[in-house]
Amino acid sequence: MEPSLFSKPRDLFTDVVNPRDYVQIDSVSHMYQSLKTSVQKPLKMILLYGRPGTGKSMLLHKLHHDLSKHQKVCMIDIPIIDEDDFLRVLAQKVYSYASREALTLTRFLELSSAVNFPVIPIVLLDEAQLYSAALMEKIRLISDARALKFVITLHKTDNEDIIAKEHFQTRIWESIELQNASHEELKIYIQKKLLKANCFDVANMINEKNIKLISKLTRGNYRESNKLMFALFSLYAWYEEHNPSKIKYNSLSTKYIEMAAIHTGLINA
Amino acid sequence: MLDISKLEHRWLKYKIKSILPYAAILAVIIISIITFSFLMFNKTTTIPMVTSKKEDLKVKTPVPVPSINDENSMLLEPSMQFLQSMSGSTPLVESVPTTPVPVVPIKRSLPLAQVQAQTDTVPPIVKPPQVPVVKGKLTSIKRDDAAFDIHELEERFKNNSNPNLGLYIARYHYDHANYTESYNYALKTNGINATMDESWLIFAKSLVKLGKEDQAKKTLQLYISNSNSQNAKNYLNTLTKEYSK
Repeated sequence: MEPSLFSKPRDLFTDVVNPRDYVQIDSVSHMYQSLKTSVQKPLKMILLYGRPGTGKSMLLHKLHHDLSKHQKVCMIDIPIIDEDDFLRVLAQKVYSYASREALTLTRFLELSSAVNFPVIPIVLLDEAQLYSAALMEKIRLISDARALKFVITLHKTDNEDIIAKEHFQTRIWESIELQNASHEELKIYIQKKLLKANCFDVANMINEKNIKLISKLTRGNYRESNKLMFALFSLYAWYEEHNPSKIKYNSLSTKYIEMAAIHTGLINA
Repeated sequence: MLDISKLEHRWLKYKIKSILPYAAILAVIIISIITFSFLMFNKTTTIPMVTSKKEDLKVKTPVPVPSINDENSMLLEPSMQFLQSMSGSTPLVESVPTTPVPVVPIKRSLPLAQVQAQTDTVPPIVKPPQVPVVKGKLTSIKRDDAAFDIHELEERFKNNSNPNLGLYIARYHYDHANYTESYNYALKTNGINATMDESWLIFAKSLVKLGKEDQAKKTLQLYISNSNSQNAKNYLNTLTKEYSK
């Protein structure tokens, strides 16, 4: 059986954070450069924040991917809510210190002073809004002791802004805000993803009107855009197999985009 | 797993729902226009109807023996005055001096030489000076980034000669007003795959932008004779209409 024209583009938009899938867009790459520069500075904490789907996790993974070649970098993408567990996992990841017992903060700091690194290790914490105030206080003490450097990501929503203020305002040395993709950025993002994977024929199908609709539906949210494109190409793959006469290869159908939006919940129908 | 039939049904429902408010507004507008025009029509038509009824009534009432001293005959006086005032007012309109409109004979067709002579006397159309587009900092960065990418794509095209990539590059250059480049890439793409409608159209459109309309027409005619493409026919018709004016 001949592979579908749309199965490859569909798989490109699977909702998986992989630094290899990082698509260079100006505003994002500018942010990434600032983040890299900030990491080189003698800062203790760097905050990366923005609304959901602005690419915070992707930037963090990309940073991990790039920096780990040169220095010790630890990534904690799933929050460890338990305080004892957090210090234990951190000790294991950074200092390769395996302990079944709970680790106190004092013991952790002793451990860090015992191990010398040419450059202060960096810990990347995703979804930091899920950490408790007490745990955030411990993180602050570790960074104050210059045992570790932290880069944390935080969702920026109306409620979580309060958390951000309480925990981080006085402690953060540098903060970088990520924005949702503009119409033009979303166009570049989708096109680049397709072109990178040699899906030229599908890239040719996407016109300005399609991008406007996708941008309107997803409001520049990268995650939602990925979901929408995945559903859209799944639809196309289905039609190609069962009803190929319904496909027009010169542009993406507004109907199918809307159907994909209904399927992903972007349109409430 | 996608349930296409259910999804199509939901889409149809959504479409109806989304169109409904506009349809309702349109219906309200149409109804109000019809009502308004109906009322206006009634207003204008009821006045003469009332007067005629009055006149009818007057006619129907037993006609008294005409007498100068009769009080009923006095009822006619206001209308007489009205008629007088009407007749008195007409000269006012007529007294306004009117200048006779010179009648210009319409020339149905002019000889070509005459047309050229006339057009020679018409001052040339001064094109408004082109205002340079001021680009924001972010936009200019975007363009630089995209330009970098297009070079990369061009390199890839050199290596793999993929007609879809060629078309993408040609379309990109056309959208960015690089018509020589779009012409070149469309030409290369047509060389690789001569059945791509859009590539031929970009090729012809680029020629038009480069001021070679005749060549564009010839190319389209040639392509139509081979492919019978409806899109190419449509564009050729547009071109013919546009450049025969």
